[in-house]
Amino acid sequence: MMKCVLTAEKLSVGYSTDSPVLRDICFNVNKGELVGLIGPNGAGKSTLLKSLRGILKPLEGEIYIADHMASALTDHEFACLTAYLQQDVHIAFDYSVREIVNTGRYPHLQWWEKEGIEDNKIVDACMEFTRVADLADKSVLEISGGQRQRVMLAKVLAQQTPILFLDEPSTGLDIFYQEEMFRFCQELCRAGKTVLMVVHELSLAARFCSRLMLIGNHKVMKDGKPEDVLTEEYLTEAYGVPVRVVENPRTGHVEVYTEPNEKNPERKALLHVIQSGETEDVHGKE
Amino acid sequence: MVKNKLSFRVYMIILVFILAGVSILSMAWGQIDIPLKTAAAFLFKSMGIPVLTDVPVSPEQQAVLLHIRLPRTIVGLLVGAGLAASGTVMQGLFANPLADPGIVGVSSGASLGAVIAIATGFSEMSMFATPLFALCGAACAVILTVGLAMRHGKVPMMMLLLSGVVVGMLLAAATAGILTVVNEHKLQQYLFWTIGGLDYRRWEHVLMGIGPILGGIAVMLLMARHLNVLVLGDIEAKAVGLPVVKYRLGFLALAAMTTSVGVCISGNIGFVGLVVPHMMRMLIGPDHRYLLPASVLAGASFLVLCDSIGRVIASPSEVRVGIMTALIGTPYFLYLLRKTYTTTR
Repeated sequence: MMKCVLTAEKLSVGYSTDSPVLRDICFNVNKGELVGLIGPNGAGKSTLLKSLRGILKPLEGEIYIADHMASALTDHEFACLTAYLQQDVHIAFDYSVREIVNTGRYPHLQWWEKEGIEDNKIVDACMEFTRVADLADKSVLEISGGQRQRVMLAKVLAQQTPILFLDEPSTGLDIFYQEEMFRFCQELCRAGKTVLMVVHELSLAARFCSRLMLIGNHKVMKDGKPEDVLTEEYLTEAYGVPVRVVENPRTGHVEVYTEPNEKNPERKALLHVIQSGETEDVHGKE
Repeated sequence: MVKNKLSFRVYMIILVFILAGVSILSMAWGQIDIPLKTAAAFLFKSMGIPVLTDVPVSPEQQAVLLHIRLPRTIVGLLVGAGLAASGTVMQGLFANPLADPGIVGVSSGASLGAVIAIATGFSEMSMFATPLFALCGAACAVILTVGLAMRHGKVPMMMLLLSGVVVGMLLAAATAGILTVVNEHKLQQYLFWTIGGLDYRRWEHVLMGIGPILGGIAVMLLMARHLNVLVLGDIEAKAVGLPVVKYRLGFLALAAMTTSVGVCISGNIGFVGLVVPHMMRMLIGPDHRYLLPASVLAGASFLVLCDSIGRVIASPSEVRVGIMTALIGTPYFLYLLRKTYTTTR
């Protein structure tokens, strides 16, 4: 028996009622699913994630999180059920990695309390899991982008919530860090957590996610198993350019790419303008 | 720059010793020279610590120490601690190392209040009038600033910063307007107030400031952990369940209140709230649970040290402490700006 942990009911999200980014969205997410939200830039993936997390108020409809009506949850209750990893966190001062991960314990402490032995154990385990334990005392301003994302993941895990919302956790990282990020999420989902993440790397999404939601045209265009969603037909419609999906015979993985645009005479003219002032001899002609 | 807890303790012990040393200096230096040993003996005796009991303190020395130097030193410690703590909180709230309590209009509001008290003549009736008017002015300025920045129950920090600047300019204009119509004597009185100083501070000033300043600092210390989360921004704070607007306004009110009480009993003193938290952050790190207590001790020491130097540097006349902090603070601040500029660009 699958247990439903997240439900969106006739959900409209966006920044103004006149032109919602997404309209009339309905879906259920079960416990243990690793859901990838895919779609072109500006389609509303992050907006949907923010609304599900309660950071943006939905324009219409209701969200249910583990049988609780989201609109009735307090900030604190929300933080005990769901954690949220932002796309880009600006950290103004040189906090240490441990101090940042510690903030994940915030919802579990009373306002006068400080972290106890139990909290430190959890923080240690989270840093160990995301392989940043050896960076614990380093400044977050000194570590690489990949390490930083792992630190933020550890922080989100320290919150000990059944549901995780991750906004582009692997964007901008090298292939090793990207795959590791997906592997961490896969492990977490097998252990019973539910993860919703915004993804741009379609072949990685196909390999690791248990379910994909293709977002475009102000709606969820297709929702299902990766092989059912990543079809040339749906992707071409969503991204607005001819998309090819092929299986790499050596790896068995799906490869997605766009067909090159047909030769356009206007672009040649543009290139001519761009290059018109170029001279190889920077000192000018003698 | 991350420091462990052991070095935090070491820093705190060093800061406490500096505080004690600076306090003794402040008791000894001035127009009537009192030996350091005598000043220390008096301090130990009044705190009931049986050290240096064999050093004699003459009745004249006793009078100077008890009625002039001790209240002056205590006011300096209180104001310095309050300004540094508020500065730390403001820098955390704005996630900006160059913020200080003045940016929400505290000092310009206090100045307007003071000038009204002086212009209307209330300042002549009671020594409490100017501080009281200054406090009201500061409170009004902060309420106006926050009110202007408030949008749909949210307080965006950028709006707060901008409305702080606007309110500051408006109130400065009002202050200048009043100053153009008052007589020379009142002008002098205002000038004397606006350059913060600790001279002629008596026990009454200590009584006015001790409750709100120590109370404000105590609450800030208790809430320091929340500030750590607030520094990471609205979304991050909300994501871990912190009620952002409530805590932000609470911290703002605390910092503004502590600063304005400090300004009321000693006039405008700049740079303490700006430079001290920054210096401490470089030593201790940005965790406010450690940064705040260190800033409190360092701020108190810094202000009293500036005051002591100001008393002897141009003897027999005095350089007011508001000038001394600027003299010492400006070069450091410029250095800081250059350094931040070269590392971020």
